[in-house]
Amino acid sequence: MRISTKLITITLGSGVIVTGLIVALVLELKSVSTGYTHILQGPVVQAAAARQAQVDFKVQVLDWKDILLRGQNPEERAQYTDQFHAQEAKVKAEVGTLAASVDDPTAKALLTDFLVADDALSAKYQAAYGLYGKQGFDFKAADKMVDGQDLAPNDIFDYVVNQLNGQAVDAAAAEKAKAVHQLLILLTIVGGLLLVDSIVYCSVLFGVLKRLGQLKTVSDRLAVADIEGLSIDISGHDEIGGIGESMKGIEAALHELLAVHAA
Amino acid sequence: MGIALVQRYEQIGKEMGSVGRMKLAMLTKLSSMKAAEAEDSVSNLKMVDDAIAQLRKGV
Repeated sequence: MRISTKLITITLGSGVIVTGLIVALVLELKSVSTGYTHILQGPVVQAAAARQAQVDFKVQVLDWKDILLRGQNPEERAQYTDQFHAQEAKVKAEVGTLAASVDDPTAKALLTDFLVADDALSAKYQAAYGLYGKQGFDFKAADKMVDGQDLAPNDIFDYVVNQLNGQAVDAAAAEKAKAVHQLLILLTIVGGLLLVDSIVYCSVLFGVLKRLGQLKTVSDRLAVADIEGLSIDISGHDEIGGIGESMKGIEAALHELLAVHAA
Repeated sequence: MGIALVQRYEQIGKEMGSVGRMKLAMLTKLSSMKAAEAEDSVSNLKMVDDAIAQLRKGV
């Protein structure tokens, strides 16, 4: 094989390896991006939704307190009662949607627990509201019926958020480990290919340099017609082999010239 | 012994002088001294004859 063909093949081989590395890195980047997007769209967004539902639940409790504090005025009572029921429905809808969307079984169970506790609390609010009306809108007895009973359902949100955050952290760690593993495999393969490519390149290079050295030795001797005992052992089907063959001709011609002059 | 080969070198020497012999050696990569040591094989004779034909054509 010609030296130029060998060098072009090695160069193209290196190009293919580097191109392959770039393509593989882009695909790896895309895979990592997809993985983290999945985490963001999953547990992280769900944890944020749980926090929002918790805030809305606290607003619902504040609306209840507004009913008790301002319920003496019929207009305000009607206004805060409507607000309370709207907020109550909003919280139930948010938590219902969230419970349906989460994959984590613990978080799902906690949200279901909340819905059960919230239903029970709604019944208690309803009973307290009835008592509130019967007692001439004196809030003390009604408040006593439900006072502090929102704390336990409220705490469930903290557990849900912790659970979802933990899931997000675990998923991110798994994604990182997967990315590192894939990167190591990729670098090992590419490193191995580049090593083989470098070995072939060095082999060709040193072969060429060695034969060029032989060629120079022969050339130096031919330049001063020092052909006594000269042996040109430069073969091969490449450019250097071709030059070696030409030098054999020159050597033979010099020998013939000296023989003719000696005769 | 390459007697027939050497005869060809001598023949081309008569035709073209020492330059012809030198060119023949260059084309065949074989001096007449080495030709004398080589066999008069079919391949060697063909190689020298081909080179002589080239020289006669003026290549």
